[in-house]
Amino acid sequence: MTRGLWSRETVALMLLAAYLPLALFWLWFGGAEALARLGLSLLVVGVWHLVFLLARAQPPSLAALITALAIAMLAPEGLGGFRMILGISFGVVMGELVFGGWGRNVVNPATVTLSFLGFGFPAFAWPVFDDPVAWAAIPAALIAGVTGTVPVAVLASAALVGAVAAASGVLPEQVLFAAGIVLVLLVADPVTSAATTLGRWINGALYAGLVTLFATGWAGAAPVQIAVAAALLTSLAVPLLDEIALALWIARRRRRHGRT
Amino acid sequence: MIRAGFGSAAGLSPRFPSPPDMSGIAEVLTEEAAVQTPVGPSLHVTPLVNEGDVVRQGAAVACLRHAPDVCFVAPLAGRVARISLLPGRKLSEIVLFREAEGDVERHDCKVAKTAGGLRRLMQSSGVWPWLRRRPFGGMPAPHEKPAAIVVMATDTRPFAPDPRRALEGREDDLTRGLIALEQLTDGPVMLCQQAGPELIEPGIGEGRIRVVTCGPRHPQGSAGIRIHQLFPAGLDTPIWDLHAEDAAALGALLETGSLPMRRLVHIAGAALRDAQTVWTHPGADLRQLTQRLVSPGPHILTSGSPLDWHATRWLAPRHRQVTVVPREATRQRPHWLVAALTQSATPRPAIPTAALTQAFGGAIPATPFIRALSAGDDETAMAFGLLSLLEEDVALADYVLGEGGQFVAQLRRMLDRIKTEFAA
Repeated sequence: MTRGLWSRETVALMLLAAYLPLALFWLWFGGAEALARLGLSLLVVGVWHLVFLLARAQPPSLAALITALAIAMLAPEGLGGFRMILGISFGVVMGELVFGGWGRNVVNPATVTLSFLGFGFPAFAWPVFDDPVAWAAIPAALIAGVTGTVPVAVLASAALVGAVAAASGVLPEQVLFAAGIVLVLLVADPVTSAATTLGRWINGALYAGLVTLFATGWAGAAPVQIAVAAALLTSLAVPLLDEIALALWIARRRRRHGRT
Repeated sequence: MIRAGFGSAAGLSPRFPSPPDMSGIAEVLTEEAAVQTPVGPSLHVTPLVNEGDVVRQGAAVACLRHAPDVCFVAPLAGRVARISLLPGRKLSEIVLFREAEGDVERHDCKVAKTAGGLRRLMQSSGVWPWLRRRPFGGMPAPHEKPAAIVVMATDTRPFAPDPRRALEGREDDLTRGLIALEQLTDGPVMLCQQAGPELIEPGIGEGRIRVVTCGPRHPQGSAGIRIHQLFPAGLDTPIWDLHAEDAAALGALLETGSLPMRRLVHIAGAALRDAQTVWTHPGADLRQLTQRLVSPGPHILTSGSPLDWHATRWLAPRHRQVTVVPREATRQRPHWLVAALTQSATPRPAIPTAALTQAFGGAIPATPFIRALSAGDDETAMAFGLLSLLEEDVALADYVLGEGGQFVAQLRRMLDRIKTEFAA
């Protein structure tokens, strides 16, 4: 039997291809230190995937590479090996693997890891991105959006709300950069973002709204911290958004047809 | 004219390998033909003929055991070669050998003036098995009254023959068939067609016949998606669907008294030298149909489109496509440890992508529906329109996700479970 293309691993590969410009620019500007962080997070994520493969026969996914990239790019700097390993282990195991692997998780493992590291060890500085790295998020979003692997509605609504906020001058440039990278890497993840069209529009707008709120009202927060906190809260609200969108859809059909 | 409720560009056009079409339409009456029950669970029947009997084209050869009015008829005049029944007198197939000078069965069409008479004529003349009901699929019960009837004059499956070509010059028959179908229901009769001139004159019948235009990509021409959009099926609101060519055949039956068995079938697939469109009949012998077309080498003859075929020797009832695929060498089985580690967690979860949304034509919230299907959540799946759908409507999603029949099987299991729960 001939089979279609969009199996779980194809989607993971397409996402990886889309994130390639972002990853390359970040490695180019980050140098050896960035490479070491990426290597460490790859190793830890890989080990946990291997543990779950052997213990629970849960096939590993190439999405592990995406998780490792997001963690390496966004984790606070200077944490040291032990804290990094602890945080990544918590995020990857509790955020993804215990639910059955990529595709069955409710929150993005990288978001869980980053929140754990950021709020658990607040003394460490969050990373700051060079301009070209932040600009590289745009081709990444374009490739992923055109191939249909990330929901375009999430990107579009976040961009719209973000553009309005930036035009009114409440979003500093650094927050905008960090929010863009987090949007592409964490919020627009196809699995944990909303699954309905209406839910997706609200999802993106909610993220951008939270970023704006934190940027104006949260004194002393680093740009990446703001974006990661907004991403975490958004991903917790996503099931509710989907539920609302589906209830509306069903109510509309019931009104039109008298049944679903 | 009603336009479909979502963008006419929704859907996908998956490509499958096939050689180019030969020009012209050949007319093929196969030397052997089989009478079979519709695809699905096999039915209890009473054979009405013996092996060796000579039957006319359109003569009843078997009827349902628990509803003797519903007959299965011979697609061509011939001699009964073999009657194979499965345990429990369920019909496997009745094979006929064609006889050159055969006669055609004639029916008395005066009875069709009333709805009850029309129903009896459709059941005795062999039109009934061409109907399909939703929810749950299969032939409708003899006394069931549908809430609406959908007539499909479009087929967007890959390599499907163009129904417009099959209906050329048969507009009067189609109109007559639609007016007859209108008698069977109190609801609308909807003719789904591709963009272009309307196949019927406006304002015929009692005014309940509507023309619906749908887009060119699959699954927009899929009966389940159309029913979901136009008039969703429910447990107490069954919807019937019928191919427009069969509706035209019903119209011809009412005019002439004999049921035409001609049917436009497209033969395609990777194991062919040439693809071809042929006029043939239900239950045609696929070996003879593809004899001069297949390229050398092992191949599988299948009835149905590349998305929802099954391997068989006969053209299945209702099917209008033959797909010939190369037989693949059996794959080396993976090492037991690798198999244990990687295959125990199947099916893999479906990742929501634009391709998955389009596989349902944007008409159903694809990801929540697929998740409800894999979780076995009947209530949620029914709220999303499960009862309007059958296997062929989710076949595209299954293909797109590369799951090899997983969702089709889950849908069938869920439908069977709901059916038994509500029958109890």
